[in-house]
Amino acid sequence: MNISTITEQYIRDRIAKGIRDGGRGLLSFRDIAVEVGKIPNAEGSAEVNMGHTKVLAGIKLGVGEPMRDKPEEGTIMTGAELLPLAHHSYDAGPPTAESIELARVIDRGIRASNAVDLKKLFIEDGKAWNLFIDIYVLNYDGNLFDAGTLAAVIALQNTKMPRYEDKEVIRENLQKLEIQNIPTSCTFAKVADTILLDTDGSEEDFSQARLTIANDENAVRAMQKGLMGSFTVREVESLVEATFDKSKELRQIISKSRVD
Amino acid sequence: MKKLVIPGEMLSDKPLRLDHTVVENGKTCSTVIGLYDESASSLIPVEGLWYPRPGEKVIGIVEEAKLNTDLINLNAPYKGLIISKFTEGNIVNNDIIEATVKELDKTGTIILIRPRVLYGGKLLAVKPSKVPRILGKGETMIKMIGEGTKSSISVGTNGLIWLKGGDYDLATNVIMRIQEESHVPGLTERIAKMVGVSTQQNRE
Amino acid sequence: MDKPELIIDGKRLDGRMPDQLRPIKITSNPIRNAAGSAYIEWGNNKILAAIYGPREALPKHTGNLNRAVVKCRYTMAPFSSIEEHGRPGMNRRAIEISKVTKEVFENVILLDLFPGNEISIFVEVLQSDGGTRAAGITCAAVALAASGIPMRDMPYAVSAGKVGETIILDMNKIEDNYSDADMPVAINPRTKEVTLLQMDGALSRSQVTTALTMIEKAGETITKIQREALLRPYEKVSSKYEASI
Repeated sequence: MNISTITEQYIRDRIAKGIRDGGRGLLSFRDIAVEVGKIPNAEGSAEVNMGHTKVLAGIKLGVGEPMRDKPEEGTIMTGAELLPLAHHSYDAGPPTAESIELARVIDRGIRASNAVDLKKLFIEDGKAWNLFIDIYVLNYDGNLFDAGTLAAVIALQNTKMPRYEDKEVIRENLQKLEIQNIPTSCTFAKVADTILLDTDGSEEDFSQARLTIANDENAVRAMQKGLMGSFTVREVESLVEATFDKSKELRQIISKSRVD
Repeated sequence: MKKLVIPGEMLSDKPLRLDHTVVENGKTCSTVIGLYDESASSLIPVEGLWYPRPGEKVIGIVEEAKLNTDLINLNAPYKGLIISKFTEGNIVNNDIIEATVKELDKTGTIILIRPRVLYGGKLLAVKPSKVPRILGKGETMIKMIGEGTKSSISVGTNGLIWLKGGDYDLATNVIMRIQEESHVPGLTERIAKMVGVSTQQNRE
Repeated sequence: MDKPELIIDGKRLDGRMPDQLRPIKITSNPIRNAAGSAYIEWGNNKILAAIYGPREALPKHTGNLNRAVVKCRYTMAPFSSIEEHGRPGMNRRAIEISKVTKEVFENVILLDLFPGNEISIFVEVLQSDGGTRAAGITCAAVALAASGIPMRDMPYAVSAGKVGETIILDMNKIEDNYSDADMPVAINPRTKEVTLLQMDGALSRSQVTTALTMIEKAGETITKIQREALLRPYEKVSSKYEASI
């Protein structure tokens, strides 16, 4: 399909009646299905299907140098690819502003919540683990932020940590990477002047403003507002509240997908 | 005997004049996944693209409305073109329109006539090869869906379907189901049950 | 690292005979947005292929007013290898594979039907274990057929190689690393036309014949798997709509 399928009138009428596709509420997620460990070659991996959005996260670990300003810590690098096979409008070119924003917002949620203790990724003087998180969008139908964060966290939670012995990386008989905190994100969008959670692709065609809030059980950890529209201060406050409520569902999915 | 065939599969060791086939070295081969009926000498694609014919109704979105011509996105390998002197009223970008195919020119552009703007509602994209099943014989299937879901429905042979009003979710589900199960016997009964219309009534 | 023994008592490291394929599974249409798509698990390879188009060739100068053009992009995910993290996107190897893959499909698609259009083939290797270009072509052929784009044949591809003096079919990564020759081939099964042929290493004239014979024979199995993947969706009623009645 290379055109938008709904009209503004259609979405206004539907939202005014409180109806969304699949019969869900304004602040509900679509059905979420998870496949853990799809890519055994990667140290960790997870595919998340959020409605028709399909995202694959892969984790690799390699030995490199620590950052100069943090010589006793490992590093995290998060990348996101809007693969041209995922949507007709995605080009096979260099990374776009959209894919970079997606990667950076996912990265901030994970980094700010200290999900991975970077000090434990330190190996020896001048050597530390580089942890690569790659988010692969395989089918686009809205809300890549939450699907991407969820896939990344589930993949991290099931990542096997290689060992570094005698200047060699050993990827056998591995221990799990220790995760000390579980971040999730909830993305809200204003469509037809109404706030929706987890917008699908056609709702995003008509989104006026978007707000992603990443949190853990205790605190807000990252936020990103997008698009040209706005939220009022009161709306932002209520969405922070809503995030603490809705993120419980996501944490439940994460805890169920933990493989020991 | 009908059988499912895939691209490259030989249908006959003689040359046949048959759509969706190629003749090589005097032999006829399918170019699509389709249902081949040897006795009726027909090959019906189950996955297929749309090849426009004059007189067919299409649905599209106005991509570029200009002074003299309007360019229409038909979600197909061909662009639609409306010559504005044939239109009444105003057509603007992103309008959904219904129109009739006049002809396909050499450059792969379809000249459209009798355009009509469809206001509001939503579009569904289906495989063009499934449109005949969605319409049904004498358009009975689509009438039944319209009646059961209280939706106004307009079906384009290019695979775009416009819906307005009534139970959108049911109408969408029903049409998607026909697309997926059109080859399985008993389709009309399954669909009638889904939209809550008695097929007995239709037969009388 | 020393070269490991790749064939012991006539059997390969993963237990296969020299002329044996790895297990192959194909699913059609896993990518909802694409015009057609396929997912293949070929041994430990996991590959997605998706088709977009025919659609207007853009930018315009890439199009051809007499026929459709085929565009192909083969890439490997940075997490696809068991070793180090890779760079996403295209390198010289990926550009070459994209080109030879494109040519396989230019040979079979009825391009004349869609002047001014492009047909895009995207092959994404999610996990690699040797032989990804052949698996990618086999997978893309299914994706194209599933999209309804007319083709005069359904190509398959597989490679043969040599370990010592033994010709072996369908090498995995470790065999590929230590092999004495590698020869990926794509064939149109109906006409037996060869549409991709690459080779490096050393093969005697008779070994070339042995390898091609092996590849042709394996083709019968691969074609059957492609066919089953394409026809499976038409064989029964889906249950997912029953709940909504």
